[in-house]
Amino acid sequence: MLSTFYGTDRLDSGAAWAAAFLLGVLFGIALEQAGFGSSRRLAAVFYLDDLAVIKVMFTALVTAMLGLIFLTGTGLLPPDQLYYLPTVYGAHLLGGLILGAGFAMGGWCPGTAAVGAASGKLDAWLFLAGGLAGCILFNELYPLLKPLATWGEAGVDFLYPHLGLSQGSAAFYVSLLAVAVFWGCELLERRRGVGGQLLSGRFLPTFSGALLVAAAVAYLAAPLPGMGPQPGAKGEAALLAQVEAGLDHMEPEELADRLLAREPGLVVADVRSEAEFQAFHIRGAIHAPLPRVHEVLAPFKNKGTIVLYSGGMTHAAQARDSLFRQGFRNVYLLSEGLVGFRERVLKPASLRAEPVTPEMAARISAWRTFFAPAPPAAAGPEPAELPAPLPGLVETEWLARHLGQPWLKIIDLRSQPEYNSGHIPGAVYLNYDSLRGVVGGVSSMLLPGELLAAHFSLMGITPGDLIVLAPGEKMQDATLVGMAAERLGHRRYAILQGGMPRWLAEKRPLTTALPAITPSRYPVPPGADDFTVAADKVLEASRRGRPLILDVRPAEYYRGEKSEEARAGHIPGAKNRPFSDDVIAGKEGVFFRPAAELAAAYARLLPDKDTPVIVHCRTGHQASQTFFVLKRLLGYRQVLYYDAGWSEWASRPELPVVKEGK
Amino acid sequence: MASGKPPLNPYLAGVFLGLVLTASYAVLGAGLGASGGLARLAAALSHLAAPAHTQASAYFGAWAPHYLSYYLVFMFVGLFVGGLLSAGVAGRLRPGLERGPGCPAARRMVFVFGGGLLVGFASRLAQGCTSGQALSGGALLLTGSLIFLAALFVSGFAVARFFRSQWYA
Repeated sequence: MLSTFYGTDRLDSGAAWAAAFLLGVLFGIALEQAGFGSSRRLAAVFYLDDLAVIKVMFTALVTAMLGLIFLTGTGLLPPDQLYYLPTVYGAHLLGGLILGAGFAMGGWCPGTAAVGAASGKLDAWLFLAGGLAGCILFNELYPLLKPLATWGEAGVDFLYPHLGLSQGSAAFYVSLLAVAVFWGCELLERRRGVGGQLLSGRFLPTFSGALLVAAAVAYLAAPLPGMGPQPGAKGEAALLAQVEAGLDHMEPEELADRLLAREPGLVVADVRSEAEFQAFHIRGAIHAPLPRVHEVLAPFKNKGTIVLYSGGMTHAAQARDSLFRQGFRNVYLLSEGLVGFRERVLKPASLRAEPVTPEMAARISAWRTFFAPAPPAAAGPEPAELPAPLPGLVETEWLARHLGQPWLKIIDLRSQPEYNSGHIPGAVYLNYDSLRGVVGGVSSMLLPGELLAAHFSLMGITPGDLIVLAPGEKMQDATLVGMAAERLGHRRYAILQGGMPRWLAEKRPLTTALPAITPSRYPVPPGADDFTVAADKVLEASRRGRPLILDVRPAEYYRGEKSEEARAGHIPGAKNRPFSDDVIAGKEGVFFRPAAELAAAYARLLPDKDTPVIVHCRTGHQASQTFFVLKRLLGYRQVLYYDAGWSEWASRPELPVVKEGK
Repeated sequence: MASGKPPLNPYLAGVFLGLVLTASYAVLGAGLGASGGLARLAAALSHLAAPAHTQASAYFGAWAPHYLSYYLVFMFVGLFVGGLLSAGVAGRLRPGLERGPGCPAARRMVFVFGGGLLVGFASRLAQGCTSGQALSGGALLLTGSLIFLAALFVSGFAVARFFRSQWYA
């Protein structure tokens, strides 16, 4: 098995630099031999006068792609020895567009310009000077550009799963495409009278055939599917050393004690594969597989403490490095990974080689009681099984098909007698109001994260589960529980379109049996959520006219004709859009209106998806529905929630109120 | 202008380049790259001009103070040496400003400097250039790298007409 400088954390060593220099020499020879020491030849591709750039690049890409599949597929080169560039959709698209324009304008790219400069080309030297200036310009503008440079972060992301392909079949199709492109290039060159000599003779058919044979062999060699993480690999990832100091490891004993103390804001993330996670994970850990590590951990970015672990350390370090690049500054690595955790925490005192003090023995025993009985393998759903997008809506038909899945948690929001006389198999009963309480003297406030996490734990929900919320007649009961999920950073939730009335009307399966629930340990989110706002922010918005304040109570309450609170009327500047306008409630169930209809209605109030908006009602119940509509169904990005709402505003005489007609 | 030996068959050159890239992954664990070295050089130059400012800057600052202690800097030096060796052997060492007939030197110089500026900037935004991002990431079939590769060619073809005058009379 090969180990790379990256995989063994020696990319900063003299030996690695010498290797990089030698590879650079070969790289330079390859580019020069291809004729890329000439800007004229490079630029000619854009005028279809010489397509060598496409031929060389595509051949090199396919050669390396197949070579890497051979090396990794045969186990010679473990995939965790490689550095994978994380995908940043926006930055890559925009960067590609700008770089392409610069390439066409200057006739060089950085690598070829270095070769051109070495061949004495004055324009290559000028190009490199421009390149240096461009890098310096980027650095100077970086504070402004940072949102752009991180726009559309997706972590390490392979193309083929998006196309429903395995690595091997994707590689075969790419090779096939390459052969087609090569023939196309030659034909085009011949037609334009600028080349295409290779169309006659045996070279091109032989080359094409060889490439396809290699692709077929690669297909057989490729692991199924994608990259399989290699457990037990040791050594930190190399780029670790580069990133700033101050980021440290956490020792297994420390992690165990902190987990045992149920420290709020501590998030332990397992970056291994689904199968490995299911087989065993540290109690309380959430699953953040390498390709989705950014997505899963986004709610905890720079809030609390994230501890990553894999089998050994390489994968976790790779994930940490990738997260660091995207601005995470609160990520730690578990020293020695799961291997160390088993050895130093889970191993019984009696089996340890070194002498164990009575205090240590007591600690070990406490750890073992807490961690050793592996929690029941909470099988996370395969992404393909999930309804998309999430959070969102789910149909009764989909739910019926997935009943009994261990990762599916259904919450029935009807009254308790209704629930007990027949509910969806596996569903738990929940009174939405149990998620609210008096906070800071204001009634009916969504509970703080740690209390919501306790509720979720009692319902046996884990962060990988899909929660399906089944309302009775009021959609806002489901969306209020949705707010609790939002506060916990739980994105996998969906509302049953039509609610329980539709399930009943469609005569779908029911039971009176109570579900078997194993309490979980739902992680407490670090800090407050980022969407709930207090009265001071709303007052500021009222004065400045931005964000828009949306009062979703019935119109007569907005106008001040009716009131159940200290004062009647509305917040100055607030617009009214009653929550009930967004749903259709009838005998067949309660439904959100079609998205297109909702989008048109809200487009009049909120011209674009980045317009900031604060939603409120009396207690936060109805507003939760509008929040869900705007943020989750329509994709508005800046939706804020004034939970305390009119019940607080009206009771604080210093806050301004307007009444219609005054 | 005839200059030295004709270039290698592009497919063979491509296989050679692809094997070098594979070797880079197998030995270094990372792909080939050119703009990474260039950026390090830019940071070092920026440091010469304004040390305190560069150290405190958000992007270059992370590399302080040993801006050039990075494997891609050594690869960049290697690129020069390789290019020089190959051009020397093939008789393609021809100093000069490459441009089309009838193109004033000043125009070519403005275009090439402007192109360099855009490329340098874009390579930082996209964390790599034609080699480090498009080719190295593309070979692993990484989504971002392939988007970058496609955008690069689309954009190049779209704007090439504006710069045609530097090559064609």
